[in-house]
Amino acid sequence: MQESAGLDLVADGLLRAQDLFRPLAEAAVGLSARPIVRFLDTNTFLRAVLVEGKPRLAQPLPTPDLPAGRWLATLPSPFAFARAAGDEVGASALAADVLAPQIEAYAEAGCALVVLSDPFLAGEKRVGELVEALNELPTSVPVALWLPFSDASGLLEELADAPVAAIGVDFYATPLDAVPQDYPKEILAGLIDTRSSRVEDPKELTDFAGRLLQRKPAGLSLVPNGDLQFVSEPIAREKLARLGAAKTPLEEAA
Amino acid sequence: MSDGKLHLLTHEVGSLAKPPWLVKASAGQPLAEEDVEHARQWGERLQVAGHEELVESLRGPAPGAEELGRWSSRYALRLLESAGLDVVYDGEQQRTEMYAWAVAHANGFEPRGTVRSFDNKYYSKSAVTGPISLREPYHNDELSFLQSVAQAELKIPITGAYTLAVWSYDERYGPQKDRLGAGVRREDELRARREFALDIARDLIRPNLEALIGLGAGWIQIDEPGASTEPDELDIFVESFNASVDGLDCLFSTHLCFSDYELFFPALERMSGCRQYAVGFANYDTRELGVGADKRPGYQVISRFRDLPYEPILGLGVLDIHSDWIEPAELVRDRILYAVDVFGDPGRIHITPDCGLRTRSWDVAYEKLVRMVEGTRLAEHELERAHAAPAAR
Repeated sequence: MQESAGLDLVADGLLRAQDLFRPLAEAAVGLSARPIVRFLDTNTFLRAVLVEGKPRLAQPLPTPDLPAGRWLATLPSPFAFARAAGDEVGASALAADVLAPQIEAYAEAGCALVVLSDPFLAGEKRVGELVEALNELPTSVPVALWLPFSDASGLLEELADAPVAAIGVDFYATPLDAVPQDYPKEILAGLIDTRSSRVEDPKELTDFAGRLLQRKPAGLSLVPNGDLQFVSEPIAREKLARLGAAKTPLEEAA
Repeated sequence: MSDGKLHLLTHEVGSLAKPPWLVKASAGQPLAEEDVEHARQWGERLQVAGHEELVESLRGPAPGAEELGRWSSRYALRLLESAGLDVVYDGEQQRTEMYAWAVAHANGFEPRGTVRSFDNKYYSKSAVTGPISLREPYHNDELSFLQSVAQAELKIPITGAYTLAVWSYDERYGPQKDRLGAGVRREDELRARREFALDIARDLIRPNLEALIGLGAGWIQIDEPGASTEPDELDIFVESFNASVDGLDCLFSTHLCFSDYELFFPALERMSGCRQYAVGFANYDTRELGVGADKRPGYQVISRFRDLPYEPILGLGVLDIHSDWIEPAELVRDRILYAVDVFGDPGRIHITPDCGLRTRSWDVAYEKLVRMVEGTRLAEHELERAHAAPAAR
């Protein structure tokens, strides 16, 4: 589905993950997942992470059966992981002892990009804590920080020097002028609204991306603004097709 | 308290799992012998009147879906009665699901496929696309049937207006264009949600409630699991509840679950006509015994319900419905004792599971409910003992 939509990097859709945190919580010693809690202002729920000892990844998660060099993996950002655990363990410890070995395993299996999803950072604005934790991660594969369903205004300046290759921005929550001119990192532009059943007009997406390019970020990719699990599979398929259709005119113009 | 005996009322909250013989037959799938055996064993265990007739019919050409649904209602009703609950329903056996069932009987919605709710559980989600109205009262048949077979008091669970609104896609009320670049103002979204929820309250929920009351419904529980989805929309939830029940003659309660309950205050002060809140707390609690606050972190928020000016009853969730772990009766007892101590009045405490038990097997659900009732009796005993002790001195 992703390939036919023209996407450059593909993912396994986290089809084996009940939620963003649970696979790692279950693969690590010292962590478990039990109480059901609401995920942001959605009607999807996740299992909060319980800290029962010093967390350590016991066994890396299996790698998806996807072509080497063409797949991306999504993991929780260390800050989001710590928040899901009620701050009972620090982001840096989770980065060093759980996320880092997982990222190494993905790198060895041909992962092209690790996307660290952080739905909580915009609400908490603890960028320093996140950046410190990101420094614990390996550099063997590019890492992107993704801020789904969040207004990234005010965060982008602070994240300009963060050790990540790209930053994902939800442009249904973030105004265009929140992106500084000549931003030094690639922007993963969330242009598909995964919480709406309405399918987007590719021309509107292309026009918006064009205006974004005028701000001259270090790079630009077009992505959904959050997980596509918030719409049904047929709608997700159509939305991805429209995202792919929006890309073509931009490439032709480039 | 009656005849000098303290009695804490126990009730279920809503759904139960559907038995395999109902699920498979409804999907047009053939039944295996183990499915028939499920009907036989549970029929015997629960002493469902005439269950042999069902078992026999399952071995032949499958009975119609409506007939099987009524059988399933009998079984679920008996399961709850047999567990010892004071107030029961049928575990919503004849409904597809709490959202889909309501929307399927309303005008103004179109299906948009299935989306994830939690873990790997999905629900069918619709979009509002036109004017909302009640196509036909959608709980009348089940209530009439249950009134004819129930031995215990009935409480009818129905899905509330705000939850129906927030669980739907909005293709009608809110801004649909120029949304990229954070182009929609929050006040416009709030205006749209208020209009949507109030339309559901007045034109869908209220006429459905009136129909149930006309059939003799005495207690209706309005389920609002989505109530705290958007913290700045709690006043809309309250307005929609009030618009649904205002002036109607019935005992109304509300079920809230899996939320940061602190968010509900002070909005709940403006609720009118809600006599009881059934709220899930066990999900957030420890599994340790004890009646001190340190052992009962999941229940710290209950004082907020105690302090509401209209003094509602609290339906105290004491069973974690997302775990197969069976709460010991002693743990149930301690959760109740803690709550009674905080409220200072056992008359304001009812005992319930956190939520509907539909994600648990009947074996697990039954065992949990039996322990809940057992724990309630232990708590009553402790409270009576404590009450009697000063007089004995």
